Amino acid sequence: MELAHLQHLYNRIGFGVTPKQLKSLSSKSKKEIIDDLFLLSEKVTPLKVDISFVGNYSIQDLKDITKRRELQKLSRQKIVEYNFAWLNRLSNSTELLREKMTLFWANHFVCESKNILFVQQFNNSLRENALENFGDFVKTIAKEPAMIDYLNSKQNKKGSPNENFARELMELFTLGQDQYSQQDITEVAKAFTGYSRNFRGDFVFKNRQHDENEKTVFGKTDNFNGEDIIDLILEKKQCAKFICEKIYLYFVNDNLNKNHIEEMSEVFYGNYNIEKLMRFVFTTNWFYGEENLSAKIKSPIEFLVGMNTIVPYTIEQPKKAILLQKLLSQILLRPPNVAGWKTGKYWIDSNTIVTRLRLPSVLLNNAEITYSDKGDEEAMVTNFSAKKLRKKTFVKATIDWESFDENFKESSHQDLITQVLGSKINKGTKALLEEKQNVSKRDFCVQLMSLPEYQLC
Amino acid sequence: MKRRDFLKQSTLASGIFFVPQFLKAFESLPAKTFSNKKVVIIQLKGGNDGLNTIVPFYNDIYYQQRNKIAIHQNDLLKLTDEVGLHKSMQPLKNLYDKGYVSILNNVGYPNPNLSHFRSTDIWQTASESNEYLQNGWVGRYLDTTNSDPFKAIEVDESLSLMLKGKSRNGLALTDAKYLYNSIKQPYFNKVLNHYNDAHLSEHNLGYLYNTMIDAKSSSKYIYEKTKTQKTKATYPKNVFGKQLKTISEFINSGLETQVYYAGLSGFDTHANQQNTQARLLQLYAESMEVFVNDLEKNNQFDDTIILTFSEFGRRVQQNKSNGTDHGTANNVFIVGKNLKQNGLYNAMPDLANLDKNGNLKHEIDFREIYATILDKWLKVDDVSILNKEFSKLGFV
Repeated sequence: MELAHLQHLYNRIGFGVTPKQLKSLSSKSKKEIIDDLFLLSEKVTPLKVDISFVGNYSIQDLKDITKRRELQKLSRQKIVEYNFAWLNRLSNSTELLREKMTLFWANHFVCESKNILFVQQFNNSLRENALENFGDFVKTIAKEPAMIDYLNSKQNKKGSPNENFARELMELFTLGQDQYSQQDITEVAKAFTGYSRNFRGDFVFKNRQHDENEKTVFGKTDNFNGEDIIDLILEKKQCAKFICEKIYLYFVNDNLNKNHIEEMSEVFYGNYNIEKLMRFVFTTNWFYGEENLSAKIKSPIEFLVGMNTIVPYTIEQPKKAILLQKLLSQILLRPPNVAGWKTGKYWIDSNTIVTRLRLPSVLLNNAEITYSDKGDEEAMVTNFSAKKLRKKTFVKATIDWESFDENFKESSHQDLITQVLGSKINKGTKALLEEKQNVSKRDFCVQLMSLPEYQLC
Repeated sequence: MKRRDFLKQSTLASGIFFVPQFLKAFESLPAKTFSNKKVVIIQLKGGNDGLNTIVPFYNDIYYQQRNKIAIHQNDLLKLTDEVGLHKSMQPLKNLYDKGYVSILNNVGYPNPNLSHFRSTDIWQTASESNEYLQNGWVGRYLDTTNSDPFKAIEVDESLSLMLKGKSRNGLALTDAKYLYNSIKQPYFNKVLNHYNDAHLSEHNLGYLYNTMIDAKSSSKYIYEKTKTQKTKATYPKNVFGKQLKTISEFINSGLETQVYYAGLSGFDTHANQQNTQARLLQLYAESMEVFVNDLEKNNQFDDTIILTFSEFGRRVQQNKSNGTDHGTANNVFIVGKNLKQNGLYNAMPDLANLDKNGNLKHEIDFREIYATILDKWLKVDDVSILNKEFSKLGFV
């Protein structure tokens, strides 16, 4: 396989690739490489932190305000730990594709919870279903306690439907905007009545709250329940198309190509096999088309984890890892809203571009980071005493330059340019880089990572 | 800025030297005199329940539909014999009593969309409900006036669609000094000096470089212009207060920025609405009063109007969780010194005449407000920015 294509593949299914890896892969055929990728991702390794403390509490404790606060506090701390564990998982997994897909689905089935038990369960559901059947995936997500809380399914009862989940199920998870009527939403909400969960994180179906009456959805009338509705949705070709478009935007290009989407929908519709669809995408010739190479703007997580591929680093404190995510506008487990993060150019504005350009030099030198802090949205409601709005901090990280030296041993400065930046480089910048090669390889690498080109993958 | 300077600057900036003079005359120059008026836009994010903000306390339907969360006459700040303001908004009432507030009722748009994101997009892009625009109305204002990014500032860490134009973007900024110091590096200067922008501007790479250049020039301008300006007023110590404080320092330092955008989150009150909404409205009203007084003290309030909106109102009938679900039309506040019409601008919503989902029907299209501000206040061609002609309202 061509080096540029290999690099492209690894940018998209993972977070980049080192020349050392490239060398070992380059003799293999495209088919072998793709087969290996899927083989490695067959396994599912759940991501877990120690949450045994939950066992010390019972549902009665929620009535006691002191105990409830205690539980909330512990849970918040554990979510920070989980965020950190996830970031480290992304940086150090052999199940590359499965982890990348998990990240993708987390911005598709967008959900947030303050309960670590629910967060962990939800995150692992994304991981388990990442490459399986999309229909089963949706049904699982609908029953996840985190989702039941997040989109008010618990409040959705016979006689007093709450439409939140019904709307987002169609708008964001399966069909896209304007593919259904307000009437459909109302009726779908009725079909999902009874969905609830208990304190221990199990799905509970409350028969007495379920609306047994007939519902009319997409012009069909029956005594539908939630799973029937998902089946009705899956019957629509639009559902396959919508998911294929999202996958294309994430893995291929910010601009949709109608023909490619059609080919993908053909493969996906009916069987809804995610692995089959992904295999198809990575096998096509158009995936490796010139217009797709270095065409996408990295998400903040892709940026942070991608840096680690080149120069392995370990941040010492989980809170500091979250600060970096915050400065770049993407905190894992804390999406802005149910529509998730807007991607592509939306990642970049005057603030985030400056942070990105500065970060490699700051992080890899343990230097000070100044940041402005407008507080998070929850703090706005409850915390009236948030005072200091500009802060300074050190992000302590262990930098493994030795691995960098080893992985890039055979690379010249000139090689480093394409290995770090890819193929699309501004002419003027390229000229600058070619005259500036009298610095050490390490410094040169930091300089490369401090360029607008480095934001692309 | 004087009109002559403006002409000069826009000619240089737009790179249209080679366009024949007669064509250039039609190119995106505002037809009217350039204005130095300011607009501050505030979004109450999540969909504020307008019916529990401006309350029709003599309306039986209101109490029937909201038996648990309706607010009673004694708990309201009376605006008229039939209408009261939420009691946690006393600071806003103070402004109202001075004639600084105009309340527009039933503002919305045809075929309302009840999704936060879609409805926010509609408000931000000024599109039809079934039309998807990739640029915002303030962004298009920057396009039309050939403005620098700092002409429109969002006091936040990331830029909303509202401030993104076809060819120009506004600026997201919480701290000019930080931004300026970060990009003021010799290496970055060198990179930008070498930058060759041929044929790149439509691609992601061109976008990245342009954003870098904008960040550099704008942060320098803002930092240098505002570094000595520190307000003496005491703003509430929370993020919204801080945002308004920043805006007041920018305005009072004579920055040429004309549009500011800030927001307050948390209004999506599906359950147990009362306390949450009361706290948020109080936070809003307190900050607003300090802000207006601060501007007034610095003789800037004459040239500033403040527009407060929410992406939608909420359902007339409350839900069983003592909250309200997503609705449609809502009230909008215009705050300014010399309003042509203050107080309640138009009649309260007709609760007996709802749409088929039990939501309010709109009376004023929100784009009429934008058109009014663009035409009468900023003195630019509203039709080219909004892509359509809207009738103008009488608040300015």
